[in-house]
Amino acid sequence: MLFALFLLNPSRAFAIAPSMEPHALPAQEEEGTLTTASDSLRNEESLFVIAEQRGPDREEPVKERSGEENDLTEESAAEEAPRIADPLRPWNKTMYHFNDKFYFWVLKPVTQVYKYVALEPLRIMCNNFFDNLRAPGRFVNNLLQWKTKAAGNEFVRFAFNSTAGLGGLADAAKELLHIQKSPADFGQTLGRYGIGQGFYLVWPILGPSSPRDTVGMVGDYFLYPLSYIDISFVYSAGIYGLETVNKTSFRIGDYEALKEAAIDPYVSLRNAYFQNRKKEVGNNNK
Amino acid sequence: MVMKKRLAGFVLILLLMFPLSVYSGVPLETVKGQITRVLDILRDPALRGEAQRKIKDEKLSAISEEMFDFTELSKRSLGQSWNKMTPEQQKEFVKLYKSLLKKVYADKITSYTEEKIIFKRENTLSEKTVEIETAILTKTSEVDINYRVIEKGGYWKVYDVVIEGVSLISNYRAQFREILANQTPEALLETLRKRVGKGQPS
Repeated sequence: MLFALFLLNPSRAFAIAPSMEPHALPAQEEEGTLTTASDSLRNEESLFVIAEQRGPDREEPVKERSGEENDLTEESAAEEAPRIADPLRPWNKTMYHFNDKFYFWVLKPVTQVYKYVALEPLRIMCNNFFDNLRAPGRFVNNLLQWKTKAAGNEFVRFAFNSTAGLGGLADAAKELLHIQKSPADFGQTLGRYGIGQGFYLVWPILGPSSPRDTVGMVGDYFLYPLSYIDISFVYSAGIYGLETVNKTSFRIGDYEALKEAAIDPYVSLRNAYFQNRKKEVGNNNK
Repeated sequence: MVMKKRLAGFVLILLLMFPLSVYSGVPLETVKGQITRVLDILRDPALRGEAQRKIKDEKLSAISEEMFDFTELSKRSLGQSWNKMTPEQQKEFVKLYKSLLKKVYADKITSYTEEKIIFKRENTLSEKTVEIETAILTKTSEVDINYRVIEKGGYWKVYDVVIEGVSLISNYRAQFREILANQTPEALLETLRKRVGKGQPS
């Protein structure tokens, strides 16, 4: 609970890509790049296992030293994984700095103004509205993952919220029918089918991703109703912008705290992204 | 009467044979109790405001000492590298890491009073470790937070916190590993010293 709120959703949150304090770790910057190659070699075997892994079942090849201090059990050895392949580190790092600046110079100030202007009930309605539009995507992905109950729930939620919830402005399905949202996205579906993340890939503005999750994003784009509305680029960018700013308005401070807590924010964020996605893929048995 | 006394004695012996820790539910209740106390402090109107800040921080710090096993946390955050450190280095690491975590989270946690927390269940991880599933209900979402506790001498102490699948110790381990791949444990300690803001020489 202590540091709970700031990780709310590292994968989805826009522009999560902090910048490494240049003065904090001066020597690391250069040497870090040197190790990248060997790092990714070392990680080759883990390249395609990151996502499929469901439990703490991965073995650490390195043997522990003996000694009474050593109650690092298999459980904690498994926590060593996943080591993430990062062959595009120079690109990723650049994008991460870019996104960090984007957050602090653009997204955050805009969101602060928005938050000041728009009252909370309005922002919650806006959140519900966009969330409802994402329901078809969740429905299809739950179905693709054979989570029929979750898919059914999403179907009912979409139908109920679109009508009784006044076009999705209210989450009536949650309030009245007590049906919770069942998140599912296409990257998760691919992971569920056994496709691994591949490697770390940071996109400008969109933030941390991987080849698999990038394909996932494209898939989700086609499952998003607004993608089919024939409007100019400016308008659709505006709509995406509103969705993002509105979402961010509930999360100001999360990213800052994540960055503040990290010793190497780039590594911290990369690790958080993969851990979070691994959980989302592995979470399907519920 | 005698029978009753004997029975009571028997029950007592039975109870003593099974230390408290084996009863399922104890880890969850422990964590729940501690979190409830934290929330009580955060919500206490008498402790509002900047003037009371110090008292509040002290109280929270006392609970965190009781709640967390910082040595276990440090050990697991370093993984293999823990053994490469000298006992003095280990000791200093625990100290610095603890101050870092406290410093970083003290600010965050104090702004954090309205959310509702639900305690879901506990899962046995190993003989001595248990995971407690909780969730925070915010206005727009539900955040899964799991506490991993380890039993030591009859007490359950938190050694890891997993937020939305992101394990705290695993996250720090990735960072420490990168640093230690190129640098000595001493350099890592120096980095931490700077970070914590007390440049004390070792």
